[in-house]
Amino acid sequence: MTASHLRQIASVAGLLALWQLLVQTGKLSELFLPAPLSVLAAMWEMTRSGQLPWAVLVSLNRVVQGFVYGAVAGVVLGLLAGAVRWIEDMLDPWVAAVYPIPKSALFPLFLLWFGLGDASKIATIAIGVLFLVLVNTITGVKSINPVLLKAAQDLGASRLQVFTKVILPGALPNIFTGLRLGAGMALILVFITEIEATKAGLGFLLWEAFQLLDTTKVFAGVVTFGLLGVATTWLLQWLERVGCPWLQRSN
Amino acid sequence: MLLALRDIGKAWLIKRTGERVHALQSITLDVHPGEFLILLGPSGCGKSTLLQIIAGLEAPSSGEIRFPDGGGNGKLTSMVFQDYALFPWRTVMGNIVFGPEVRSVSRILREERARRLIELVNLKGAEHRYPHELSGGMRQRVALARALANDPQILLFDEPLAALDAMTRRVLQDELLRIWGETGKTFVYVTHSLQEAVLLGSRIVLMTAHPGRIKQIVDVPLARPRHATGRAEAEMLDRLDGLLGEEVKRAMVV
Repeated sequence: MTASHLRQIASVAGLLALWQLLVQTGKLSELFLPAPLSVLAAMWEMTRSGQLPWAVLVSLNRVVQGFVYGAVAGVVLGLLAGAVRWIEDMLDPWVAAVYPIPKSALFPLFLLWFGLGDASKIATIAIGVLFLVLVNTITGVKSINPVLLKAAQDLGASRLQVFTKVILPGALPNIFTGLRLGAGMALILVFITEIEATKAGLGFLLWEAFQLLDTTKVFAGVVTFGLLGVATTWLLQWLERVGCPWLQRSN
Repeated sequence: MLLALRDIGKAWLIKRTGERVHALQSITLDVHPGEFLILLGPSGCGKSTLLQIIAGLEAPSSGEIRFPDGGGNGKLTSMVFQDYALFPWRTVMGNIVFGPEVRSVSRILREERARRLIELVNLKGAEHRYPHELSGGMRQRVALARALANDPQILLFDEPLAALDAMTRRVLQDELLRIWGETGKTFVYVTHSLQEAVLLGSRIVLMTAHPGRIKQIVDVPLARPRHATGRAEAEMLDRLDGLLGEEVKRAMVV
């Protein structure tokens, strides 16, 4: 373990200990900042009762579905737009118009169209993910050195082979950037869409706890969201390592 | 005769000014089997464009290209690009098998062919490295092996050593000559280096710029191996220098 690691651990442990101490000596109110150990105890209790795992499962189902639909659509449209001029021309004004809209602002519309169930939430997440993946995929295709396309053609590749063997792998690093940004967006959107019009999910749990002023439970929800964020980052980093082995610098 | 170029012309239209720029004009040239043909000229003489036209990557505006021996099954030409143009996501092996792979050669056959080529270009042990893990010289060896993997009749080189340092260039020049001798392939090689032309070429096509035309075709009857400092080589260099000097000056003014 390096000195840098030690400092990092000391920083986190020290602050948590100070926090715990301030609450126990009554300097901080548990209503505003519940002690770390209380949050941990609440999470344990909520896990044993099944409340927390269920909420996570419900939210994850929405996140994963929305993410997969959005990512697949984004990659396919992005590759086509990057490789075929007229598809890009048709897509361009829509990207320019819809990309800047905060996707949470579309949620009321989707509620109207898809009802109060999972579909409206999944659609909101999917749209959010789609545009991030789409824009990054197009960037990826555009960033491919044109001489590589010439080389592939010179070696006898057909148009389809140029697409699958040059354009797709060439755009992959940027696609993964889009996926990482999209995963972050999916977590933001699942929280927002679970505040209203649902009776299940991590966002609902957190918001309901807030309305009951159960701050410990709110913290439990926040920490769980944090853990989900870390887990998705790890998963995507692992996928990128497997998918783009050439980006790993060897020692 | 392996390849016949008849009255090839290439013109670009500059949209902004409506001007027509003649990159190549009335290029008539025969390429003979097994020769090391050098296309030599100043920047802007269209030598790279001519190479792209031979490769079929660019269409000429006028004139005709013929491969009198006909297509057959093998690929007629393969290009070695100046900046290597290796696929960064493929290993050395993956890059070399690309040609046979898109031509549906079976995995076993293409990997065996690749292994033989890896030996030919002295890359043994580097099979599973990615391009960014290789030096410039090694990258150009991969590019050469990749071009050879399609078993073309003619190898086209677009200033393949221009991006390398002088030492590596010397080593690779000798390697190219060795491989040219071992494979018996026809090399068409673009360069703007007089020394390189004299060291490598069996025939040198001198080109002029604006428009790109053939000024003269010079045979290089010097014995091999040749030496950069040899007397006959120096005389040849002088001769080419005299022929090319005015052209380079003119190209620089324009």
